[in-house]
Amino acid sequence: MRSGSGRLILAEWRKTTTTKLPWVLTIIAVGYSALQAVLLILLAAPGLMSGFANTQSTDNMLMSSDYLGAALAQVGTAATFTLLLGIVAMTGEYRHMTITATYLASPRRSRVLIAKMALYALIGAAVALVTLIVVTVAMLIALLPFEHAPLTTDMWLSVLLGSVIGLVLFGVLGVSIGALIPNQVAAIVTALLWMLLLEPVLSLAFPKVGMWLPQQALQAAMDVGVRSEFTGQFVAADNLPVWGGILLLLAYAAVFGAIASRTTLSRDIT
Amino acid sequence: MAQLIGPTIRAESLTKRFGRSVTAVSDLSFTVEPGRVTGFLGPNGSGKTTTLRCLLGLVRPTSGRATIDGHAYAELDDPMRAVGGALEASGFHPGRTGRNHLRVLAAAAGLPDARADELLEFVGLAGAARRRVAEYSLGMRQRLALATALIGKPGALLLDEPANGLDPEGIAWLRTFLRARAAEGATVLVSSHALAEVQQTVDDVIIINKGQLVHSGPLSDLAARHTARVIVRSPDADDLMAVLRDAGANAEARSDGSWLVVGLAPEQIGHAAAVGRYELHQLSPEPDALERLFLDMTGGLE
Repeated sequence: MRSGSGRLILAEWRKTTTTKLPWVLTIIAVGYSALQAVLLILLAAPGLMSGFANTQSTDNMLMSSDYLGAALAQVGTAATFTLLLGIVAMTGEYRHMTITATYLASPRRSRVLIAKMALYALIGAAVALVTLIVVTVAMLIALLPFEHAPLTTDMWLSVLLGSVIGLVLFGVLGVSIGALIPNQVAAIVTALLWMLLLEPVLSLAFPKVGMWLPQQALQAAMDVGVRSEFTGQFVAADNLPVWGGILLLLAYAAVFGAIASRTTLSRDIT
Repeated sequence: MAQLIGPTIRAESLTKRFGRSVTAVSDLSFTVEPGRVTGFLGPNGSGKTTTLRCLLGLVRPTSGRATIDGHAYAELDDPMRAVGGALEASGFHPGRTGRNHLRVLAAAAGLPDARADELLEFVGLAGAARRRVAEYSLGMRQRLALATALIGKPGALLLDEPANGLDPEGIAWLRTFLRARAAEGATVLVSSHALAEVQQTVDDVIIINKGQLVHSGPLSDLAARHTARVIVRSPDADDLMAVLRDAGANAEARSDGSWLVVGLAPEQIGHAAAVGRYELHQLSPEPDALERLFLDMTGGLE
């Protein structure tokens, strides 16, 4: 009857799977990544959208395994959604006042935070695997009519490793952001504003600072072999090594979680 | 069910201020004993819910202590087995089914899933177990809140206005259940804004107003006070009232021809009537006297 943390993680798992929103977010995450990957293939396909990817060269880009690797690495874009999943896991409790029952069951509030972080790490890994499988199948179907380089096991495993790392870290980070900003709308708006506007602007204005910001740290952490030059994403010249990105994101989550434990999470529940 | 001894629940000089200006609870002390049903009474906004939230570790007291057998709620090893709290009927995710709500908490408490079905059956929600809480009526939410409180088979129950939204049948069922739990030895604390609502359920009362203790003790103590308000009907009323006034009572005629006598117990009035050979048609305590006393104590008549 012991093992308090196991109990809490199971309770959190049930909370997640018994409401619609996490499923909807997961489906969007998978669908969005698959769509991106397929679009990259179609853009490069000879004769299909002539004039975009093939202008500079007469080569069939689909013959480049780097290019295919970059398309496969679109799995990493699902990290945005595991961040949102983590945010919703925490803020949903405050929105629906289920936090009362949660804290009655576990009055030591930081344990709830840690259980949620642990679960959303696991969910991040699971979403990465599912997304990778769906993206792989979608790509193989999209590649059928064309001559293309092989999708190698090495490529697949490195994308698996990279996206597991990225989605796990962003799931954990999402929980910590939700703890820091318990208002659901405010948390989601802040996160999206940061990712879509503030961080890109900051990175452009201060390239030296950029590598220490979460999205660039995410890029660094996922960069386990598959380069993403082809995806057109902004990647600064200098970036942290993989382990540096991982540690930096863990540090963000730990700091946010620690601040939340002393501030927002210790507030009266009325 | 085995005889149990529920925990003793205590507020010790409990004070809770919100911000600088709002004092919700002020220097409140009381003890809730096991084996009895205690009514926690006061008008809306008198600090009942804040006090319960302090006892359940959801609100941090500004000063003083709220304890379960001497421990703060957060210090309890297995809180859901010690205390079951039902605070308000709104703490459910609307998209989750009643059954899943209980399964979440069963997992958190380390209890088997069968406990969820058992409780749904017990509170009369088995038929609605797989419906989303959004479709539940207020009464059904109250039943689900009660099931939530019961999940760990706790020795103490802290229920905030549990009768709200229940139909008369549900209220009767709740009354029987709470009496039975207390008879088994559990500690039962039930809040209400109306004494009449819990009058037939409680052994003890704690009455608060504006966050301060007004009265605490057995309900029978309160009942003893109100026997001093008696309705008398007699064809010889004029003579009888003169005698009663001489004995120190205050008597006033009521619009329906009866008299309200204040200051003498029914037996004293009956004795006076027998001695003077006055015919009596009615001699009874004022029916809503207890509620009137409660309203007087809590300033509800202002």
